[in-house]
Amino acid sequence: MTLIETALDGLDVAVDGLEYTTCGLHAQAEVRPDLLRPVCRALHSLGFFLETVTAIDWLADEIIQGVYLFNHYEQNTRFKLTIRTVRAHPVFPSVGAIYPGAVWHERETGEFFGITYKDSPDSRCLLLPAETTFHPLRKDFRPQAQPVDTA
Amino acid sequence: MFESKTAPTYHLESMEENQFVLNLGPQHPGTHGVLRVVLHMDGEYILTADPVLGYGHRMQEKIAETMTYTQVLPYMARMDYLGALFYNQAWVCLVEKMCGFEVPKRAEYIRVLCAELNRIASHFLWFGAFLLDLGAFTPFLHAFADRERILDLLESVTGSRLTHCYFRFGGVGADVDNVFLAGAQAFVDHMRKHLPTYHSLVTGNVIFQQRTKDVGVILPFETWGYGISGPVLRGSGKQYDVRTSEPYSIYPELDFKVPVEQAGDCLARYLVRLREIEESLNIIEQTIAGMPKGPVRSKVPKIIKPPEGEAAMAVETPRGELMIYLVSDGSTVPYRVKYRVPSFANLSIFSHLARGRLLADALAILGSLDMVIPEVDR
Repeated sequence: MTLIETALDGLDVAVDGLEYTTCGLHAQAEVRPDLLRPVCRALHSLGFFLETVTAIDWLADEIIQGVYLFNHYEQNTRFKLTIRTVRAHPVFPSVGAIYPGAVWHERETGEFFGITYKDSPDSRCLLLPAETTFHPLRKDFRPQAQPVDTA
Repeated sequence: MFESKTAPTYHLESMEENQFVLNLGPQHPGTHGVLRVVLHMDGEYILTADPVLGYGHRMQEKIAETMTYTQVLPYMARMDYLGALFYNQAWVCLVEKMCGFEVPKRAEYIRVLCAELNRIASHFLWFGAFLLDLGAFTPFLHAFADRERILDLLESVTGSRLTHCYFRFGGVGADVDNVFLAGAQAFVDHMRKHLPTYHSLVTGNVIFQQRTKDVGVILPFETWGYGISGPVLRGSGKQYDVRTSEPYSIYPELDFKVPVEQAGDCLARYLVRLREIEESLNIIEQTIAGMPKGPVRSKVPKIIKPPEGEAAMAVETPRGELMIYLVSDGSTVPYRVKYRVPSFANLSIFSHLARGRLLADALAILGSLDMVIPEVDR
């Protein structure tokens, strides 16, 4: 039984193995948004650290995919966890209460993609100015179309 | 709908006597770049610390989505300008992994040799700046004089002193000559003689010990919640180094140790980095001795088009684990690039460490985390 299987034992999650030598990831799983926190809690309790939180904008499919990458200090196991939602009003549950380091990642991903992380301990903008109204990593964002503040 | 809250407001009239708000930065030598920390103080003690980021933000990830794979390469050195070659290495290894390019053995040796020189140069700058934060001026001069030797060496092969762009898909930009190898060996010999001076100047110094011992302690169980990596993690007793945990390039063939300290304080992080310099010297010596003959670049297509799919590649930079996650749609331009940078995760624990400490301790903690702000802001 791999470390991932041990961690997710008893949760309704289907884990797919990946070809590590060509993609650098050991396994992946797509979960329902309501299962995100239980899965993160299980991974945290086994010592998995959160490498990053990010998202991918699939413009053609009208989907925003949340990506969570985990790894383990003692036993190298890179695990990709994904959740998806509609592009119009993306809302994901925050895992900041489980992984305190996730708060900054969620603030960054939130402002870049226009995602609301529900129940986040801190949802301010992180890297962009507080008054920013655009979301630069959305695929339909055109940098050239933005007014340039020369003041 | 996307909601964004504004910064917390401090109600000065309701604060108790002795309490005040102090702005550290954005232009402060102790923040090593344009970082601002809003400190809520009670006298000399910190009640809360709130880092404000983004002064050096350049939207590197969007830039990467608008350029070809080759054009992105030199941009990355602008993130961590003290460890430019590690960004080179992560990107070329990632694309080589996805496309299945072969890399000649000599090129791998040159890459590791130059990367380890870069690591030592970065640690020297950290050493000088950290001690300067603590009020010691002389160590800075020693470290910068030695760092200059590395910059001269790297300039002779990469053509630049700071934001190197030397690695290419399938190898390196140009071969190294015997003058460079002899210079690298002379540097190793010099450092073996000179490193004890660093210890006699600083390590045993009573003032230094009192400023760093039991200050900013990161407990082992706090490390994975924040995703800590690099020397900061290894100062807290975890033996995680991408070079051995998830080996890449020729690191499995080399003989070196991963220094670990148990205390988790600023002193432990200092000791780990100094011992890492010694280990890097060992690696450099082994790569010079074992440098194979042959080509330094394999034949790769002019237009890079990784197959549709995703890949992740991690390397150990002087600050910890750099991981690049790439999603390719099969075209000449990346669909999505995510930089998982070590400074970002390592700085995120700062608020937690600074709470309840003296202001002077906060500067020691910031210095010991060794973050590069343009890397945090990207």
